[in-house]
Amino acid sequence: MTTREDFSPDSGGQGGTIALRQVCCIADGRALLDIGTLDIRPGERVAIVGHNGAGKSTLLRLLTGFASLTHGRVEVLGRDLSARPTPEQLRALRHEVGQIHQGLHLVGRLSALENTLIGSLGRVAGWRSWVRYFPAQERASAEAALHAVGLLPRARTRADKLSGGERQKVAIARLLLQRPKLILADEPTAALDPAAASEVCHLLAQAAQSATLISVVHNAALLPLLAERVIGLKNGRIAFDLPLAAVDDQKLVNLYRPDQFAPTVPWQMRESEPCSAL
Amino acid sequence: MSNFAARRHFAERWVGYLKGRLGFLSLTLIYALLVAACLISLASEDELSLGRNPLANLAKTAGEFARPSFLDLWFGDPHLEYKSDDGRVLRVENRQEVEADYLAALGRATWTTVRIATLGSLLGALLALPLAVLTARNLSAPKPLAWLAKAVLDITRSIHTLVFGLVLVGIVGLGPTAGILAIGLHSLGTYGKLFAEAIESLDMAAIDAVRSVGATPDQVFFNAVWPSVLPQFVASHLYVWEFNIRDSTILGLIGAGGLGLLITEATALFQWGRLSTVLIVVVLMVSTFDALSRRIRQALA
Repeated sequence: MTTREDFSPDSGGQGGTIALRQVCCIADGRALLDIGTLDIRPGERVAIVGHNGAGKSTLLRLLTGFASLTHGRVEVLGRDLSARPTPEQLRALRHEVGQIHQGLHLVGRLSALENTLIGSLGRVAGWRSWVRYFPAQERASAEAALHAVGLLPRARTRADKLSGGERQKVAIARLLLQRPKLILADEPTAALDPAAASEVCHLLAQAAQSATLISVVHNAALLPLLAERVIGLKNGRIAFDLPLAAVDDQKLVNLYRPDQFAPTVPWQMRESEPCSAL
Repeated sequence: MSNFAARRHFAERWVGYLKGRLGFLSLTLIYALLVAACLISLASEDELSLGRNPLANLAKTAGEFARPSFLDLWFGDPHLEYKSDDGRVLRVENRQEVEADYLAALGRATWTTVRIATLGSLLGALLALPLAVLTARNLSAPKPLAWLAKAVLDITRSIHTLVFGLVLVGIVGLGPTAGILAIGLHSLGTYGKLFAEAIESLDMAAIDAVRSVGATPDQVFFNAVWPSVLPQFVASHLYVWEFNIRDSTILGLIGAGGLGLLITEATALFQWGRLSTVLIVVVLMVSTFDALSRRIRQALA
């Protein structure tokens, strides 16, 4: 049985980016997430795969405090999220966590440059951030970030006038400016054509060179670009957790196939299984 | 929760009855019955008459309307003599000068009307802003406060500007102040509804984007909320302001000053030529403002 001692910094959390213990998320009477143990070390490249509703997004939201857990312990970048973190603690965490979503997470009425500068809001406080009068140094790095993703010519274009691929590149430029320790990418290529998808993945991998990267991917062809470790989620539980080389098509097919028979004994049932204990 | 589900089920069943061709047919039938009831009851009370000689009256009024009084500025008799029955000259009047004085007064009244509409609209918008924040469903303000704010908005929207004006004239006396307050109070309800809708159509993805980098609530407000609601706020402000310019022209009827005063005067004296001049000014003013505000709203979209 996992105890509090298991969670002490030197067992799971020493320098660890992410540590989950006995985590259970329940919403509307349904278990969204049911994970016994999950550790992710700094600098790891992890992909999460699984069917719709498998709990991938819930897991990512959990790591930034946008979803709350019913039971268990979550530690992200040395911060304990289990004990109802205060808004200040959550903000401090989010300063260090870069997020990229399906291309919708930009402020449509602001320009590409201004959207990039949102990444620096953690460093620029007060009235300057209200009127978006950013220091020259931040502006310069924002332009450099846009240049890095090849969007400098579009810097003054409003985000809602950009194409899907361009929007994702702006989001990556925002990551570059934010300089996070952990990057969470939730289906970053969902709305893109294959060419744009691989370009965005390359840029994302570059942006994550000095960070931990956790991405949710559906396209198996993109896995090698973004991950060296693959976690398969099924019905909120970890179905497999393997190095990239050990993941073959059959495993993915099995993961996405609906269950013919509802499992009578849940996977890895233990006395202390997070959700069944409730 | 089950209570909520049951209520929704009930509502869905009723909507279900009204769907489809049969439902639409019965709605049409109900509407036809209502119209017939209105017509027949009015006719049976003998209230549907058009007066004694409507055609002659119409021709006379239209004829005077067709000659707006401002034409006197050029075509008026400079030496109009008012004579008594025995031919004695009572008074000599220069029609052109009289009309010039009238037009000057008309200009001042127009300016008063614009001032009432402008300040009243601003007042309404400022009062409506906090109430809209409370009633917007996606901001989930405390329930009692939200209900209170919604009640204030509904009540002010359902009371006509003129009614507010009549009450306010009794409180603050005759003059533009009453007009400004009346416009402000009535448009408060409209503003509140439009502002709340603007807030409800907020792009939540934009808010999440800014929140996810750890922005403080004030940073989220200025970088995500404000840029998306400001254009809509400005558009609704222009729209209601334009409406209020039209509305404030009749406030003079109750002594709040402005063009309405001249309208009452002209109708009371059956001076249709003068009324015609006033109405031309109203139409010009409203359509100019309409064109301007449409340009600005297009530029903001």
